[in-house]
Amino acid sequence: MDKEALFKEIFRANSKKIYHLCYGYTGDNDSANDLMQETFMKVWQNLDKFRNQALISTWIYRIAVNTCLSYLRVEKRQAKDELTDNIIENRSEEVSEKNDHIAQLYKCIAQLEENERIIITMVLDEIPYSEIAEISGISEGNLRVKIHRIKTKLTELYNKYERF
Amino acid sequence: MKDFEALKDIWRNQVEHSEIRPEDVLKKVKQSKKLLANKLLLEVIAVVTAIVILSYAWIILSFTMWTSHVAIGIFILCCIYVMFKQFSDYRKITDNALLLNRPKEYITYLKSYKQDRYILNTQKYRTYSILFSMGFILFFVEILFIAELWVTVLAILFTLFWFYYCYFVLMKNYIRKEENRLDDMITNLERVEKQFSDEKLV
Repeated sequence: MDKEALFKEIFRANSKKIYHLCYGYTGDNDSANDLMQETFMKVWQNLDKFRNQALISTWIYRIAVNTCLSYLRVEKRQAKDELTDNIIENRSEEVSEKNDHIAQLYKCIAQLEENERIIITMVLDEIPYSEIAEISGISEGNLRVKIHRIKTKLTELYNKYERF
Repeated sequence: MKDFEALKDIWRNQVEHSEIRPEDVLKKVKQSKKLLANKLLLEVIAVVTAIVILSYAWIILSFTMWTSHVAIGIFILCCIYVMFKQFSDYRKITDNALLLNRPKEYITYLKSYKQDRYILNTQKYRTYSILFSMGFILFFVEILFIAELWVTVLAILFTLFWFYYCYFVLMKNYIRKEENRLDDMITNLERVEKQFSDEKLV
C-alpha cells in the first residue's frame, strides 16, 4: 500500500474520534477543524515512523493531544469563561433537540480543565483505559480516580444547565 | 436528571460536523511546505544580498583604517548570526519527534521553546544592536578623517538618534509586550503541566 492510500485509511479510521477530541478541547467547530487538520498534517509527516506499530491510534492520539495543548491561548480561556454565562442564550433555536443536547454536552466539556477535557472525550469514545493512560502519561490507577471525578463533575454540570 | 450513561448515549448519537477530508490535509501539507520553503529562501536571499553588498563595499572602498575593516567584519558576522539563528529555529519547529512525547514532557518542551524565542527576540536582539552600534562607531572613525566635520557630526547624531529610538522606544515597548505574552503562556503551560502530573491522587 502506498503512503497516500495508507494515510487515507488511517484518516477514515481515526478522524471521527480525533475531531471529537479537538471539539471537546476547543469547544468550537472551526477551531476543532483547524486542530484536526493540523493533527493529520503531522500524522502525514510522521507516517514513516508509524509503520508496523501495533496501536497506531495511540500515536495519533498523542499527536492530537500535544497539538491541542500547544493551541493554548489566552483568548480561548476567555471564551471558555464566557460560556458559563451564555450557555443557554447561545443555543441556536433551529437546531434539533438531539443536536441541542450534544451542543450542551460540548459546552459542559469546555468548562472542564484541559486534561479533563482530553480524558473525558476519550472515555466517551470508549477508548480502553490502558490506552488513555498510555496517551496521557498517567498511571492507570490514578487515571481511574481522575475519570471517576471527571464523570461526576461533567454529569453535575450537565444537569445544572439542563434545569434552566 | 441524567447520569453518565445518558451522557454517553447523547455522545454516541451525535452527527458529525467535520468538513475536513484527507485530500484537504494533503493539499495543506504541500502548501505549507511550499510557504516555509519560500520564506526560508527569501530570508537567505536577503541575508546573502546584504553580505554581498558589504563585501563589495569592503573591496571597492579600500578603507585606510583598520577600524573600518573591523566594522565591516562585525556587520557581516551579525548577518550570518541572524541567518544561523533563523535556521536553527525552523529546525526546532519542524522537529516532529517531540510530538510523540508524553503530554507533560511536551509541555516542558513548549515552555523551554517559548523561553528560547523570548531570549532570541529580546536579549539576543540587544546584543545584536550593541554589535551594530560598535560597527558604526568604528566606521565613523574613518569618516571623521575623510569627510567634513559637520557631515561626520550630522551622521553620528542621526545614528545616535536612530539607535536611541530603536532601543529605548521600539525595543522597550516590544520587550514589555513579549514579557506579558510570555508570562501568560508560561502560566497557562504550568497550570496544564500540573494537570498531567502523575502524583498519587488523594
